Amino acid sequence: MTRVLVIEDDRRTAAEIAAALGDHGFDVECAYNGRDGLLKATAEKYDAIVLDRMLPGDLDGLGVLATLRTIRTETPVLILSALSAVDERVRGLRAGGDDYLTKPFEFVELTARLEVLIRRHAMPQRETTLRVGDLQVDLLTREVRRAGRTIELLPREYRLLEYLMRHAGRVVTRTMLFEEVWGYHYDPQTNVIDVHIGRLRRKLEEGELPQMIHTVRGSGYVLRRAE
Amino acid sequence: MSSVGLSDIPRTTSFRLALLFLGLFGAASLILFGFMYWQTARYLSNGLDDWLGNEMASRSAEHSSERMRQLNTRATLDPEGRRPIALFDAAGHWVAGGAATLPTPLPAMDRPFDFMLRRGTEAAPFRGILHRLASSDILLVAADMREVRQFRDLLLNAMASGALVVLALGMTGAVLTGAGALGRIDGVTQAIERIVNGDLSGRLPSSRKGGDVNRLIQVVNRMLDEIERLMNDVKGVTEDIAHDLRTPLTRLLAGLERVRRRDATAEEYVAAVEEAIAETKGILATFGALLRIAEVEAGARRAGFRTLDLTTVATDVAELYEPMAEGKHILLSVEDDVAAASAEMAGDPSLLFEAISNLVDNAIKFTPPGGRVALRILRQKDRLAIEVSDTGPGIPEAERDAVLRRFHRVEKCRSTPGSGLGLSLVAAVAKLHGLDLAIEDARPGCRVTLWRDGIPGRQQQPDFAASTSSASSSAAIA
Repeated sequence: MTRVLVIEDDRRTAAEIAAALGDHGFDVECAYNGRDGLLKATAEKYDAIVLDRMLPGDLDGLGVLATLRTIRTETPVLILSALSAVDERVRGLRAGGDDYLTKPFEFVELTARLEVLIRRHAMPQRETTLRVGDLQVDLLTREVRRAGRTIELLPREYRLLEYLMRHAGRVVTRTMLFEEVWGYHYDPQTNVIDVHIGRLRRKLEEGELPQMIHTVRGSGYVLRRAE
Repeated sequence: MSSVGLSDIPRTTSFRLALLFLGLFGAASLILFGFMYWQTARYLSNGLDDWLGNEMASRSAEHSSERMRQLNTRATLDPEGRRPIALFDAAGHWVAGGAATLPTPLPAMDRPFDFMLRRGTEAAPFRGILHRLASSDILLVAADMREVRQFRDLLLNAMASGALVVLALGMTGAVLTGAGALGRIDGVTQAIERIVNGDLSGRLPSSRKGGDVNRLIQVVNRMLDEIERLMNDVKGVTEDIAHDLRTPLTRLLAGLERVRRRDATAEEYVAAVEEAIAETKGILATFGALLRIAEVEAGARRAGFRTLDLTTVATDVAELYEPMAEGKHILLSVEDDVAAASAEMAGDPSLLFEAISNLVDNAIKFTPPGGRVALRILRQKDRLAIEVSDTGPGIPEAERDAVLRRFHRVEKCRSTPGSGLGLSLVAAVAKLHGLDLAIEDARPGCRVTLWRDGIPGRQQQPDFAASTSSASSSAAIA
């Protein structure tokens, strides 16, 4: 079972995060200050840590993170933070964070990102071919084939597909796709990503092939083997 | 301190300054007068001593008979005994001459001395000189000092009354200037108290006379103008936030109450929860956007600044929106004068991307099918500009400033989805990057330009974009 440590000082928030991650199938433990969090993170083995940027006491989120990285604990860390005056995203990632989520966030966003972090950490990307059902992507030649037929994709469409394929079977949110494929960091509020996914979907389903990219209402997309 | 009280005057700076100068001037005058007095007195007494010496020399040099004659003549000519010359025998008894007695003990010979002589009923001060003649008789030459003393007293009196006048004038001046300053300070204090108590329109009273205090007051007044403007902004924004968040919150509450009221099925509950989640997400998004604008306006995002190419950002935006535009049958194009200088600038790519995509999003949203949206990068010498123009209805000139405010949405398009925060963010991002923002009529449509000259801080209208009044009906900014 995947074990996640949540370090968050607000107990209600921590309980909600634990509940959401528990529902998602994670085994969750909570720590309510930096000191306890650091103790748990070093004493036990976790697959990922959810770390609140602002913690009371002498050890705040970045302090915990810096200490963990100094003692070579490479557990992936997702930083949670309220928007604030400084550009914390840059600072958080520089301090050794693997991902960064701004409060208020949606739990589906949190779980989806955690999944990605844990998988990336567990399985280094060494494969040269991605395969989901009858869909196949050659990472070297960037050739996409479905049911034996080559599909021509625009560069962005290819990257969308690659990302979805790498995380096949898991929910990927619009923000994650946008950050990964376009490389800019903000939450596009419009349905502009949907239109891109729509195009990609049409190309993949050309010739009456069954649907592979599914919309998860209110969350994002998931790519699954065609039934 | 609410009114000018006499007891407050001594505490004013002006009064104290006036007093200080009065003291200094008084001390200087005292020294000057003292010196004058001393010199005059010395001149007078030296003159007297000279006369005494000369007279003594003449008389003692004379033959005794001639001397007697002189003594008697003088005594007759000077019946009041103002300048008596008298002869005494060796024992000190009067022999001849003017009315006089020898002082006891006998002063040293041939040296002027002060002594008293009886004149009428009173003793008067005299100065005299003694000389022992060869016959061992003693000759006295003396002069009445009362005139000299009177002159000295007169001089002293004149000086004292002069000093009194100066003191009186100085004190009056000090009180007047003190009272004047107090009145001024009092006015300023009252004005400040009014402002502190909430009347932000109050200003410090400034006189037409100018001067350093007036300059200070003018600066403070300018500061107060700025504070009032900012306070009004904050007030407006707070009201807008309260107003614009009440609507979705009311909808949320109404939906939740509806399912509780009705005997709803499980599916209806699910639908209501979904609705509530969507509504809450919308509210959170609005808050997020507000916080983001505040963050950008605070200038804190400079941590993400690096050198970027505006053309790259614009191309990325166009690529993101191209499918959406195509879906609406709108031609989205990027025009770049590649031959010109590079479009490099320092900035936060994510923020610029967001700002430009907000503009493009708006443009696509409000341009009817079949229209055009163009992204243009303009590079001319020192000037770098990016403009987004569309063939939509445009923004009425009267609303061009208002659309930059938070939550403002052009009235006719309130039904279009959007928070009314998009252009506020664009304005904030532009400001952070030192870019000017201009909204113009593209005839037809709307053109928004973010631009800057090479020299930061210099502002002028872009000459490539004519700003004229718009006849188009209305547009909305979401």
